[in-house]
Amino acid sequence: MNTTEQTDPTIRTESETEYVTFCVDDLLLGVEIDRVDEINRRVDVTPVPHAPPFVCGVLNLRGEVVTVVDLRMILGRSPADSQRATRTLIVRSKGEQIGLRVDEIADVVRARRSEIDPVPSNLGGTEGRYFEGVHKLESELLIILDIDAALT
Amino acid sequence: METFNDDEIIAEFVVESKEHLADVESKLLAIEAAGADVDLDLVNEVFRAVHSIKGAAGFLGFATLGQLAHELENILNRIRNRELIPDASVTNAMLKASDTLSAMIEDIQHSNEVDISEQLAALEKIVAGELAEDRVATTGAGTNTNMGAEKGAEAVPADTPEKSSNKGKSSSRRSAKASTPKATADSADEPSGEPVAKTPRKRSRKTNGKTTRKTARKTTETASRKPTARSAEKAANNTQDLSEKTTSAVSAEGTKQAESVSTPAPSAKPPVNTGRSQASGSNTKMSIRVAVGVLDRLMNLAGELVLARNQLLQAVASTNSGSLDGVAARLDQVTSELHEAIMQARMQPVGTVFNKFPRVVRDLSSTLQKQCQLKVEGSEVELDKSIIEAIGDPLTHLVRNAVDHGIESPDRRVAAGKPAVGTITLRAFHQAGKVNISISDDGAGIDVAKLKEKAVSRGLLTPEQIAEMSDREALRLIFHPGFSTAEKVTDVSGRGVGMDVVKTNIEKLGGTVDIETQVGRGTTIHVKLPLTLAIVPSLIVRCGKGRFAIPQTNIRELVRIKRRDGAKRIERVKDAEVLRLRGKLLPLVRLCKALGVDRAAEQHERSAVTIVVVEAGHLQYGLIVDGLHDSEEIVVKPLGRHMQNSRILAGATILGDGQVALILDVTGIASHCKLALPKDEEQVGDQESADDSSVDIQTSLLVTNHPDEQFAIPMEAISRMERVRTDQIDSVGGLDVLQYRGTSLPLLSLEKYIHAKPRAETSKVYIVVFSVLNREVGLIVPHLVDIRKISTEVDMVTFREPGVIGSVEIDGRATRLLDLYELTKRAHPEWFTEENNTGVADAVGPASLQQGESPKPLILLAEDSTFFRKQVAGYLEEAGYEVIACEDGQIAWHTLQERGEDFDVVVTDIEMPNMDGCQLAQHIKGDPSLSHLPIIALTSLAGEDDMQRGMESGIDDYQVKLDRERLMAAVARYLREGAARRLRDSTSGTDGQGGTAAVGRRSQP
Repeated sequence: MNTTEQTDPTIRTESETEYVTFCVDDLLLGVEIDRVDEINRRVDVTPVPHAPPFVCGVLNLRGEVVTVVDLRMILGRSPADSQRATRTLIVRSKGEQIGLRVDEIADVVRARRSEIDPVPSNLGGTEGRYFEGVHKLESELLIILDIDAALT
Repeated sequence: METFNDDEIIAEFVVESKEHLADVESKLLAIEAAGADVDLDLVNEVFRAVHSIKGAAGFLGFATLGQLAHELENILNRIRNRELIPDASVTNAMLKASDTLSAMIEDIQHSNEVDISEQLAALEKIVAGELAEDRVATTGAGTNTNMGAEKGAEAVPADTPEKSSNKGKSSSRRSAKASTPKATADSADEPSGEPVAKTPRKRSRKTNGKTTRKTARKTTETASRKPTARSAEKAANNTQDLSEKTTSAVSAEGTKQAESVSTPAPSAKPPVNTGRSQASGSNTKMSIRVAVGVLDRLMNLAGELVLARNQLLQAVASTNSGSLDGVAARLDQVTSELHEAIMQARMQPVGTVFNKFPRVVRDLSSTLQKQCQLKVEGSEVELDKSIIEAIGDPLTHLVRNAVDHGIESPDRRVAAGKPAVGTITLRAFHQAGKVNISISDDGAGIDVAKLKEKAVSRGLLTPEQIAEMSDREALRLIFHPGFSTAEKVTDVSGRGVGMDVVKTNIEKLGGTVDIETQVGRGTTIHVKLPLTLAIVPSLIVRCGKGRFAIPQTNIRELVRIKRRDGAKRIERVKDAEVLRLRGKLLPLVRLCKALGVDRAAEQHERSAVTIVVVEAGHLQYGLIVDGLHDSEEIVVKPLGRHMQNSRILAGATILGDGQVALILDVTGIASHCKLALPKDEEQVGDQESADDSSVDIQTSLLVTNHPDEQFAIPMEAISRMERVRTDQIDSVGGLDVLQYRGTSLPLLSLEKYIHAKPRAETSKVYIVVFSVLNREVGLIVPHLVDIRKISTEVDMVTFREPGVIGSVEIDGRATRLLDLYELTKRAHPEWFTEENNTGVADAVGPASLQQGESPKPLILLAEDSTFFRKQVAGYLEEAGYEVIACEDGQIAWHTLQERGEDFDVVVTDIEMPNMDGCQLAQHIKGDPSLSHLPIIALTSLAGEDDMQRGMESGIDDYQVKLDRERLMAAVARYLREGAARRLRDSTSGTDGQGGTAAVGRRSQP
């Protein structure tokens, strides 16, 4: 373990971290559970004219106006189908609450920092820059999302 | 020396010290301004502030801070004793010291590491240098006392801090109190500084010999001062006077003596200068210090409460439950009041911003070697905290600009006949729910011509564009990015950036900036700001399916146009839609289009168009919306970072039903849609009217008499212009005349005959020569502005008086249209009496005609411009004719068909809607029963082509519209011809000579 720590400077702690995982198109993504404030079902989003295309709009989150973005668009996929049941993750990024629209929510996954591998260069194409690392699950690959990078 | 490390106490000290220092700067400047005529109260105030800092700094172990404060205090002490005159260099040193103090307090934990040796040396030099000279005469006793006092004071920082800090460290807060008396004893012979002891010199003179009492007093004072350093009570704040604060603490301990000592203190203050002291005094008792964060939170909660109330009210309204109504109403009221109160808590006087400007002006003018004084008015005007915070930088920039670009160097000012000291006036006042701040200087003003040149040379605009630009518009080039007026780029404000940033920042706050200037007289910048940003009464509009909020401050009015009228009122100019509103053309923006929102198809079938007329800076335009909802008070919430750059949105809000609505930024929408400036808007109007015959254009000479007042003279009325020296004008019997080509030309001065300010004094004037009743008359005009085509949509009410037809707005200036005929009549009524009247009207006018023909001659007037119609009809009626006025050729033709026999003359405009003058003439000449009618055509400017066309269609004569005399002569002539013809007809029975006959006989007078 110690050797890994030295070779990989990103590893800070050996305690397990919990990740909220969710699907966006064919990807299984995860964000640290500490970053997630809440998960909402269908929310009433007000579209914002002249906003970047990936912005679905704004919603009223108990008196605060929160931007909701479509992760599919950010990750270069086709836009979310408004008819489909989607979920909105409210996350914190740079001191601001932002809603991430995702296809569906999966499990909470525990992983040690040391179990997170660097992103393979062939993964995700240009959107790869939004990925912090990958974690191998039994049957699939969990991609850890770098929220701040994805939301710039 | 160890630093006292109770964070809370230190934080308290920092806040308190900042308050002490807040005013010090302005007071130091005032002290400097007073010079040798020392205002003791002022000096004492500063002294006390510095002294308090020194004391507390020592107590808390901030030795460096204490040292600097001490040295500053020494200088102040000498000024107070009139041993030192606070000239610029002394003040500079003091200001620097106070700056350093502020900086150190800002970063208090590292204050001991700051190197102040240089400053200390400078300050010591001032103290020592002056001591050596010892030139100031004070009483020996006084000086001695103070010398002693200084020694005592010096002892303090070395002495007190250690002891007190030790104690403070070793003891809890409560036990620290117990330690105070001892600390006091140490510094008991420290001279002064507390308000009670603020005039120690005076007192030492007066109470000579009463040493015991004096010492006793001082002991109490100092005793009362010490605990303050720890500021047990947070409640008392805003205090400049530590001891005032401590009074309560001490008296709480039951020390009656302390009370009795400190109470007389205020009364000991001379009545002079009490304004400030009283204000600070009342603050002490009436206010508490609240963290800004708490206030912001309260504000947010109040906002939420407002929203919840709105929701509740909606719910109550729908349930129709009687018992709830009362409660809801009460809640409604309380919420509103609560909200107002919290808003009030956030209000701060604009003085908090203004206060820093005396220093800015002083420093800058000395750097630039200019002399400036700053006048501040309306410091008490309050604005929301958020706005106060945001206007600091823009205003600083404007003030610096005024010093740098506005005020000239002293010798140049003197040469221009102005006082060497320039004045910059900063004024804040309320107007129409907004706060206005104006920054004026009495400097050189802005040379618009130079601005224009610069704009061209910098490639910002083409010479053609510039040529079309009005002065007012050109002046606004100043707000163009990359524009600086200073001939030299200075490091002060002429970096070529700034005014555009100022403008952007102020507009971000929902405010506007405008500029006014007069070469040689100075420049004024007007800033208009909303009182508050946080809660905004807004109109909720619908566009597509979405709802949007438009702040009421941006809304001028709402216009609703029925669909079937829409075509008439909404017109297209090139690609733009415009609305004809009260004679002005208003650019229109379709909100859905601007927002890129899909409109449902049903919208097109709506029965009416709703237009919200909004104001974005100087630009007014109409927003076409799909519908109106309620007005609501909305809480502005910022949009997330992904939408921060949106120009068209100012934020978001949550409506009563919980839905988010976006707030529109009308300025942003205007620029997004590339709406033109007002000037361009006028041009649009011009172009439009060129196509549209319903608006007449009158070419006029624009002049000013007094520079503030602009007048227009119809070009057609002017024979010629002369330029003469004023000394060539003779005054004969109260009348001005110009000896001219062997005759004397009577001259008129506007201010003698109409309500006008006196003529500007100039060495040369223009004489505008025109003729009335075959006489030449000259109007004295000091300044020609321009020759312009002006619309004849004249306001004939506001400025109407004999000699003034009415007013039009030209480039934002109300311009009065002169009637030279009436003006002459006012000046020389004797010319217009019957005997003297050599004019046409009486010779051949109705009076003579009426002898033969019983009724008044009837004239048909066809003219589409209301202005000309009224004018011409007025002339004719005044001359004794009866006039039937028609709005266009069509109506005139109908009228003629009905009662054509009754008319004697037709006077018609050429350019008219529906049927123009030529067509009317053709109709008349084509009708045997009417063909005898003489037709006089009126034009604004008669061109050869037009005349040819007119003659071909049967028009008998052409006259220029506002040339009253010749028109009258022509009318009279045709009437006489008509009468003669009728006489002839009745004898010979022939008819139908019509036009040719008339034209053939036209030569006679």
